[in-house]
Amino acid sequence: MKLIEIAQRLGLKVEAGVDHLENEVRGGYAGDLLSCVMARAKTGDLWVTVQRHPNIVAVAVLVGLAGIVVTEGGNIEPATLERAEQEGIPILVSSASAFRVVGELWDLGIRGE
Amino acid sequence: MRLQDIKVQLEAEQVAGSPRPELEIKEACAADLMSDVLASARPGSLLLTGLTHPQAVRVAALASLAAVVFVQGKEPLRDTLVAAEESGLPLFVTQLSLFESCGRLYQAGLRG
Amino acid sequence: MRSRGAGTRTQLTKLEELLRELRVEEVMTRRLVSVSGDFTMAQVKELLRKHRISGVPVLEGEALVGVVSIEDVTRALEQGEMGAKVRDRMSREVITVFADEPAVEAVKRFAHTKVGRLPVLDRGGKVVGILTPGDPVGRAFRVMDLRYREQEQQRWQQKGLGLEDLLGEGASLVLRFRVQGEDFAGAGKASVQAKRVLGRLGLDPGAVRRATIAAYEAEMNLIIHTRGGELTLEATPHSVVVEAVDKGPGIVDVEQALQPGFSTAPEWVCEMGFGAGMGLNNIQSCADEFEIESEVGRGTRVRAVVHLSQSGRKDRLNR
Repeated sequence: MKLIEIAQRLGLKVEAGVDHLENEVRGGYAGDLLSCVMARAKTGDLWVTVQRHPNIVAVAVLVGLAGIVVTEGGNIEPATLERAEQEGIPILVSSASAFRVVGELWDLGIRGE
Repeated sequence: MRLQDIKVQLEAEQVAGSPRPELEIKEACAADLMSDVLASARPGSLLLTGLTHPQAVRVAALASLAAVVFVQGKEPLRDTLVAAEESGLPLFVTQLSLFESCGRLYQAGLRG
Repeated sequence: MRSRGAGTRTQLTKLEELLRELRVEEVMTRRLVSVSGDFTMAQVKELLRKHRISGVPVLEGEALVGVVSIEDVTRALEQGEMGAKVRDRMSREVITVFADEPAVEAVKRFAHTKVGRLPVLDRGGKVVGILTPGDPVGRAFRVMDLRYREQEQQRWQQKGLGLEDLLGEGASLVLRFRVQGEDFAGAGKASVQAKRVLGRLGLDPGAVRRATIAAYEAEMNLIIHTRGGELTLEATPHSVVVEAVDKGPGIVDVEQALQPGFSTAPEWVCEMGFGAGMGLNNIQSCADEFEIESEVGRGTRVRAVVHLSQSGRKDRLNR
C-alpha cells in the first residue's frame, strides 16, 4: 500500500516529504527507542513513534523506512522537518495515540512481526 | 477485555506480579518513553513497552496502570522482576513486536 | 509473652488459610529453565551456575522425563564424568505437583519427600513452572502483605478519615528522600515509596497519582541532570507539596527548559526511554501550582502543589 493512501485513510497531516508519498509501505514498526528501531525495523516499514527529535530522520534514512508517523499531535521541531525535507523522508502527524494509530494501520492490513 | 484474554491474544507469558486473570482492561498505552506514559496513559490501562528497565514497572505503578507487557521477547532485568513482585503489578512477556501487539489488541477491541 | 504467642498463632492460621486458597500456579516460578537428555553434565553445571539454581527438569519434547540436580553434577564431577549425558545421570522418579492444586499440597510434598524442587504440570502433563521449598510460604507472605495494605487503605477510605483526623489540625506529614545524581538503578524508588505511603493514608487516589508523578519527574531530573539533591513530599489535609532542590549545575534558560520536547539529556539517557524533554511539562500539568527557580552554578528548586479534592468533588483522575 502506498503511503499517500494510508495518509488519506487515517487522516494524517503531512509535515515533510510531500514528494515522497508514493513510497510503498511494506510493514509497520512501532517504538521510541532509536537503537531498537535500528536493530529491528525493516526496509519499507512505516515507523510509528512519539519521538520528534531530528535523530529520527537519520534513523529513517539508515534503515530505509517508508516514512514516519509522529503520534499525539503537537509540534515537531523545525530542525527535524528541515532534515526530513533534505533527506526526503515523509513525516506524517496524527493526533491519536501510538496504540490507536497502529490499530488503524493493522485494520488496513499493515503488519509487524 | 480480561487480562487473561490479552495474554492469549499476545501469546504472552506472565513472569511476575499477582495473577489477576479476571481483571477487566479497556485501554492500552504503547510507549517506550516513560514521560509519555506518565503524561498520556490513563489509570487502569495496559502498558505495552520495549523498555525492560525497572523504571517501566515503577512508572506503571505510579500511573496506577493495570499491567505491563514487555514486547519483542525482551527478558526483564532481575531488578524489574523484583519491582513487579513488590508492587504486585502483573508483568508479561510476548515474543510479538510492539506493532503486532497493538494491532492484535486493537482488533480485539482494546482502545487507547 | 502471652500476647506475642497469640499473635504468632493468628499469623500461622492466616498463612495456612492462604496456602489452601492460593493455587500452585500463583506461587510457582514461571520462567522455566530446562534441559534435554542430550545435555552433558558440564553443560548442566554451567546452566545451574548461570541461573543460580540447584536443579532443572529434563524434557524430551514437551514431556517431563526426569530431574537433574546439583547433587548429580557433584557426583559426576567426583567421578570425572562431566561429559556424560543427562539422560544417563538424572533421577527418573520425579515428584510433581499440578498447577491447579492448592499451594498447601506442594508444602506437604516438600515436607514428606525432602526433594529440592517440584516441577509443576498442567492437567495435560505439560511442564508450566517449578517450585522450590521456599516459594509457597514466601509468596503467601507477600500476598498477605499486599492484601493487608489494600485492606488498610480501604478501611481508611471507608471511614472517610482525612489526614486531619490522623495528624491533628495544623500538622503535616513530610517525606524526605536523598536522591543521588546518576543513580539510574535506584531512580523512581523514592516516588514509588511516597505513593505507597500516601495511598495507605487513604488520601484521594487521583491527587496522590498526580503528586507522585510530579515527584517522579522531579526525581528523574535530579538523577539525570544534577549531582543529586533532595526530594520532599509534604502532605497536609488540603494538599500535597512536592519539592526538589539541588545544588547545581542550574538551568541556563528556564523558559526554554519548559518548552515541550526541549532536552539537554545525554544520549544514554534517551536510549533508556528518558530525556524526551517532557519532564518539567509533566510536572506542570500534574500540579495545581507550579514554581521553578534556577541559578547557574547554584542550583534549582522545583515546587509543585497538588490540591486534595474536598469531599464531594471528584479529583480529575485523568488530568
